[in-house]
Amino acid sequence: MRILKNFSQALRGLRLNRGNTLLMTIGVMIGIASLTVIVAIGFGIKVKVLNRIANMGFGPESFSVYAGGGRLFFSRSKNTSMTLQDSEDLLALPTVRLVVPRQRKRMQIINKKEFTSTRVYGVTPDWQRARGWNIVDGVFLSDSDLDRKKKVVVLGATPARKIFKNKDPIGKMVRLQNNFYEVIGLLEEKGLTESGYDPDDRALIPLTTSMARLTSETHLHSIKVVTLNASQVPETMEAVKQVLRRNHNLSVFSEDDFRFVTPEGIMEWVTESAQAMNRMLILISTVSLLVGGVVIMNILLVSIRERVKEIGIRRCFGARRFDITLQFLFESILVSLLGGVLGIGLGLGISFGLKRFDILPTQVTWQPFVLSFVFCTFIGLIFGIHPARKAALMSPEESIRS
Amino acid sequence: MSLIKMNSICKSYRNIDFETEVLKNITLNIDKGDYVGIIGPSGSGKSTLMAIAGCLSKPTSGEYILDGEEIENLSDRKLSRIRNEKIGFVFQAFHLLPGVTALDNVILPLVYSRKSPKNVKERAREVLAKVGMDHRLHHTPGQLSGGEQQRVTIARSLINDPPIIFADEPTGNLDSKNGIATMKAFDNLVEEGKTVILITHDSQVAEHANRIIAIRDGKIASDSKFQYQKTPVDLSEKI
Repeated sequence: MRILKNFSQALRGLRLNRGNTLLMTIGVMIGIASLTVIVAIGFGIKVKVLNRIANMGFGPESFSVYAGGGRLFFSRSKNTSMTLQDSEDLLALPTVRLVVPRQRKRMQIINKKEFTSTRVYGVTPDWQRARGWNIVDGVFLSDSDLDRKKKVVVLGATPARKIFKNKDPIGKMVRLQNNFYEVIGLLEEKGLTESGYDPDDRALIPLTTSMARLTSETHLHSIKVVTLNASQVPETMEAVKQVLRRNHNLSVFSEDDFRFVTPEGIMEWVTESAQAMNRMLILISTVSLLVGGVVIMNILLVSIRERVKEIGIRRCFGARRFDITLQFLFESILVSLLGGVLGIGLGLGISFGLKRFDILPTQVTWQPFVLSFVFCTFIGLIFGIHPARKAALMSPEESIRS
Repeated sequence: MSLIKMNSICKSYRNIDFETEVLKNITLNIDKGDYVGIIGPSGSGKSTLMAIAGCLSKPTSGEYILDGEEIENLSDRKLSRIRNEKIGFVFQAFHLLPGVTALDNVILPLVYSRKSPKNVKERAREVLAKVGMDHRLHHTPGQLSGGEQQRVTIARSLINDPPIIFADEPTGNLDSKNGIATMKAFDNLVEEGKTVILITHDSQVAEHANRIIAIRDGKIASDSKFQYQKTPVDLSEKI
């Protein structure tokens, strides 16, 4: 009964101090929302990176060699040492089934007035076998296209749609830099991955044509190596290393001027970066929680200082210390709950909004909500009740005079 | 039997480097039904005396027995109950909860009361009617005049039907017309058998009392009783 009465006094207190109630609610709300959004963005980026790697087209029996030393995607230097000769020598290895020498360049692809930017690859006919990617219309690049450095192109679904709209592109001419290429084939559409990576955003031309007309470079950017079976990957990598070092005339003291990109290597890197990212997330969360906590704390301290007189009046007319504590406990709980619910709503809203409008990838998880809710409530209770208890501990005479 | 019994009460406020002695050795008895005026210049210690008598603060030393109960060693719980059930306060600055209606302000002591009447609002209306305020039930203090606010505080002090009413400068913030009406209200309360203790520096106000205690420099300077009785006036008619 007494608890109910104090509860209704708490409700009245919140209503009478609307301004402070609003500020405290906003404080809790922003604390919870910011934490959840930050964590959602962190998780989202992590998932996106993982997805992107999963979509690089690695099978368990393949790996790539990139020109230039360093690790994975981070080349230490531009290097021109990898050649078609390397590629042929690698194919001669007993455990190698296919090699795909590649050049890659992002550029405009133009059909009359329509144009778009896409990734243009110079590849060999083995590209299709290595990727297992079907042609839906026309044909893939052939050995004779390669031998004769023909100006032909196989389009991915995305550039085809952008520059040809609904028309059939086969047999049409498109322009890359200053040359016109005939569209001879259309790749099967794979569709966007979950993370928004578009595998269809590409165009393929013969490697020889790319060397002669597009990049004006005779060196390769990378070679994809497909082994006979997955268990041969480690020994093949070792063999590839020997061949390349010998071909590039590297002394025993020099470092590799090429680097391997393997599914395992990527996984290892992802795990490492995921750990670093987690550490960063924990740090950011802690800071944002502390900031939110300090905001709530300050508002509460000011708010209750303003209400010392009210506490004095209540004490004069028979309120026990416990009644005062109870009233402010209820007020704190109500504000925390209200701010918590609003904060969760706002956090969810912003997270989904960022994802929906492609601003940042976000991934909503429940942990930050629980963590921030518990923390904000805790702060609310400590800093809401403590000053109220202090005011209640003063003699009513003192507090009423304040 | 005396309702209030003080024995060598001293009160001093301690600052960082000096101590101010406000009350020095006060010994005092107030009987049930007394109408006491405590007068003295400001700073003489009369408000401190009321705070101690009203259990709003504790004396530094001395013995205080209120209605047979030794106050010194009572817990916060018991003191709160005494303030709730035995004492009603009327303050110069009214001390109403801002933004709360007259009705709810009057109900405040019942929130913390063990025995609350069945119909709380009915009881609040009753006491508000007694001070002629039943036409302003749902006004907040900001919407009431000073005299009206003071009548609400009187109603608040009466709602739990306490035997003792303390009034600290009840007319200090009022014009003479409202001041007279307020004093009439106290006269009526004494008539009903309540013990009223007025704190004032206004000798005209103190004249309503039948016992005047003068405080000077923390000591009782004089204590005199009068025998005449005033005729009670119906307050609600007068205003």
